[in-house]
Amino acid sequence: MILPNRLLVLRLEDKATMFGVSAIRIRQVIAVLMLMLFASFASKANQIATNQITTNQLTTSQSPHATPTPAKSASTRRVTSDEIEPQTVRFHAWGGSAQVNGYLQWVSEQVKKEYNINLQHVKLADTSDAVSRVLAEKAAGNHSEGSVDLIWINGENFAAMKQHGLLEPEWVSSIENFALTNPQQNAAMVTDFGEATLGMEAPWGKASMVFYYRQSHLEALSLKAPTTIEALLTFAQKAPGRFTYPIPNDYLGITFLKYAALTLNKEYLDDFYSPVSPEALARVLLALWQYLDKLHPLMWRKGQTMLRQASQLQRLMGSGELSLAFSFTAAEIPSAVERFDLPLDIRTYAMHDGSLANVHFIGLTFNAASKNAAKTVVNFLLSPEAQAQKQKLTVWGDDTVLDMTQLNQAQRQLFIQDTPHASALDKTLSTPLLAEPHASWTDALRDAWFKRYGARY
Amino acid sequence: MFTRLTVLARWILLVVLVVPVVAGLIGVVFPALGYFPVLGATTFSFDVFKQLNSVDGLGRMVWLSLFTGLGATLLSIAGAFFLLAASYQTKAFRYLQGLLSPLLALPHAATAIALLFVISPSGIIARLFTASGEGVMVSAGMSKWSFAFPYDELGLSVLFALTLKELPFVVLMAMSVMSQPQLSHKFKSYLAIGASCGYTPIASFMKLVLPLVYRQIRLPLLAVVVFATSNVEIPLILGPNNPSTLSVAVFYWFNHIDLSLRLLGSAAAILQVGVSCLALLTFIFVEKIVSKVASSQRIQGTRTFFDFFIITKAAGIVGLYVVLCGLVVYSVIMHSVAQYWVFPALYPSGLTLLHWQTVLGGMLPPIVNTLLLGVAVSVSSVIIVLLALESELLKPTKSTMTLVLSLALFLPLLVPGVAFLYGLVWLQQIVLASATWFHTFIAHLVYVLPYVFMALAVAYRKFDNRYAMVAQSLGKTPWQVFTHVKLPLLTSPILVAWALGASISFSQYLPTLLASGGTLPTITTEAVASASGNSSRVTAVYLIIQALLPLVAFIIAWWAPTLLVNRKRGENGVLSSVSKESEVLNGK
Repeated sequence: MILPNRLLVLRLEDKATMFGVSAIRIRQVIAVLMLMLFASFASKANQIATNQITTNQLTTSQSPHATPTPAKSASTRRVTSDEIEPQTVRFHAWGGSAQVNGYLQWVSEQVKKEYNINLQHVKLADTSDAVSRVLAEKAAGNHSEGSVDLIWINGENFAAMKQHGLLEPEWVSSIENFALTNPQQNAAMVTDFGEATLGMEAPWGKASMVFYYRQSHLEALSLKAPTTIEALLTFAQKAPGRFTYPIPNDYLGITFLKYAALTLNKEYLDDFYSPVSPEALARVLLALWQYLDKLHPLMWRKGQTMLRQASQLQRLMGSGELSLAFSFTAAEIPSAVERFDLPLDIRTYAMHDGSLANVHFIGLTFNAASKNAAKTVVNFLLSPEAQAQKQKLTVWGDDTVLDMTQLNQAQRQLFIQDTPHASALDKTLSTPLLAEPHASWTDALRDAWFKRYGARY
Repeated sequence: MFTRLTVLARWILLVVLVVPVVAGLIGVVFPALGYFPVLGATTFSFDVFKQLNSVDGLGRMVWLSLFTGLGATLLSIAGAFFLLAASYQTKAFRYLQGLLSPLLALPHAATAIALLFVISPSGIIARLFTASGEGVMVSAGMSKWSFAFPYDELGLSVLFALTLKELPFVVLMAMSVMSQPQLSHKFKSYLAIGASCGYTPIASFMKLVLPLVYRQIRLPLLAVVVFATSNVEIPLILGPNNPSTLSVAVFYWFNHIDLSLRLLGSAAAILQVGVSCLALLTFIFVEKIVSKVASSQRIQGTRTFFDFFIITKAAGIVGLYVVLCGLVVYSVIMHSVAQYWVFPALYPSGLTLLHWQTVLGGMLPPIVNTLLLGVAVSVSSVIIVLLALESELLKPTKSTMTLVLSLALFLPLLVPGVAFLYGLVWLQQIVLASATWFHTFIAHLVYVLPYVFMALAVAYRKFDNRYAMVAQSLGKTPWQVFTHVKLPLLTSPILVAWALGASISFSQYLPTLLASGGTLPTITTEAVASASGNSSRVTAVYLIIQALLPLVAFIIAWWAPTLLVNRKRGENGVLSSVSKESEVLNGK
């Protein structure tokens, strides 16, 4: 047992002396490598421009998955599955909703079948994670091998990406099904919170603000659901701790602020649709602060702790800690009831003094690795088939962006819904819609709020 | 040749620990000094720090970080030693590991979420104490049943959760020291002497064993201090937000839509490093005082040492863990299969597999990714660490090198992940932008290596070198000594370190997300995404899967040695002769 081992070791030892010099070298080489890494990193900041070129050359020649061989790269035509290797499209989208995730899984099955594209839904906890990612890639000079192809955004995130040049411009008009949204007649399809989209993002769905409540709670408290902003305060006085709204970093939080600001300042409504001015802001804040100062101590946890995310609002409704909440997607309420996340006694309604409405979009990043495949996916997402599937209450229930007048009879048929759900919004009642204020108001309202009520990290 | 290999491993260890962190740090220091060209900031100045200084409630954030971090560390150390003292010489000692390990294996984020299921105002405890009629009124945040937990302004719920989470770590670390054959032999004889002098078991443990054990686990404890003061997940999920701990603010600024807040985040990250250092200094100061008091206590000659106090506290801790674990298991499992479950019902209206179907539908790729990464990272960590430790013996280093190495171990634990990871992503974009797996592997390795090193170093450095000397004097080469003497004898701690490494890799959220650009979904990235989502039922399913994965690793770590030894016993190989040798040496 010992002898053969020893022989082996002896031979190894011989080799070791042969490599004796190089072993010391290894140490030196590593040390030098480390130094080089540090040096390249430290000087990196000054040389982004130079490095961009080299990184570009490097990455295009090493292209890992997007374009397996030159012959396949430029093709947008439909291809059969065994003809070429599938392209991968990475769709970065908030992953906190089972309904949305389920729908995107259906989409990825469809595009795999029809276009041989692997659609990967990268589930984000926060969309700004993906924005950071693209920014980091831009900083490092990665201009063609980005890891984010498509991104689900609107409002603030879009404004940030637009400002930093992180989105591909003027690609939406080349999407065949985009015409079905009737963008000439429908400015909402090319305007994102007052910002022109410049063809950087394609509309995907529509949303408007609704409120929902626990019927059993309201019966026990012998209260009626509030239908105006003033009635909401009365409700909170009679049932303290049963309502809250997320901090204004969250889209629902800022939505609530806008709703309150708009409805409390009906006489200054015009101010909201032009860029914000200090005077206009001061005018509307007066009524808003007066209102919120009264509301906050009557909210969940006396307004000391406020929710960071809209989805937590629905959780607290589910667990019974709240009796009244609101959402931007009317259909997610019955859908959540169907999935047992909300109890059966949930009822949805729209405020009588107006509900805020907007559109959400899909952006294509400037450095997407597989742009053509990504466009194919967007075209599919805008198809009547995919939009109708999305609007089904049992799937997601997100309103379509397609203009029904642009569809043929068979296509329109796809959108006919099944029997209404007890928890769903009664769409036969008409509600006044409030358009989103100019984008500059979002920041102004939020900053003013944080200044007054603390940073709330 | 083998000696050179071990020296190479030492260098690899150093490079893997230092390069990503230092690179990441540069990526933080530059923006903190106002230099971030992408945002058009190109001049160096201290303006960002001035801006940070003027942030409202900064002092309170720093205080919250220090208070929750240090408080949790001190409490968990005290609790851990109470438990060990009360159980060391009893049968309970063996069950302790089984009780605490599931919590050790559970990621921090998962622990916090699991606690919410139990102790929130609508959690199972509140349900237990509420009559069904008053349900509507009671579940509100303002009623008489409004618990301080969670989100309390003092940070007590954060402190509580951190303590719950760190205590098992301290106990396990101490156990791995105490189970060393050489040490456990020593302890037994100490305790025997203590007992013969009339000291109670607890007094002899506290006075004779504890000081020795403590010295061995000091390094991991310092890591706990740093970790607890800079942890993001627990204060994010359970902490106050008016204001939050500093680490949460750093995380917030780095993730903010307004990209220029990156600068502020970077400056705050530097401050976080300072806060962690301050926490370390305070901890060392407390250590000094305690050791002063303790050494005078030790020679006083009293035969008891707060016996009753320690036993009741230990029993209380065990009781708390048993009750909490029971309630967590019940409410999480029930939520994962629940239909409607209104407050204050104790059980759901019906059961469904819908939530499991929802999750499992898309679960295969994340599970495969998690396992591949976890196994690759933990196995390579164990190999690198073992070889590096071996090099300490074969080729002792100068004291400066030893110092550098132990400092390097702390680097990844000292710098908040959010900060240096952003810098790391920057570097990875420059070098091999498309090697996603490699980058994620490295980002995990940075976090896994220190823990594997600490877990193994304790056992390895205490290895009774006489075995190696005997083997060498019988003509074995270092390689043979390593593979045929050390590895078999150290199988148990090696496997525990491997399991720890794997479970740490499983639980990484930010490193995975940032380094892979989200292209490698793992169980943890999916779970955290769902925790921010709207379904507590889907989150419960993720929690269960998250808890099961590391548990599997630890079960392997406990069972494999027994299996290996049983199998090897049958052969007439080197191992059996060594184990016979060792039995002879142990005087059996």
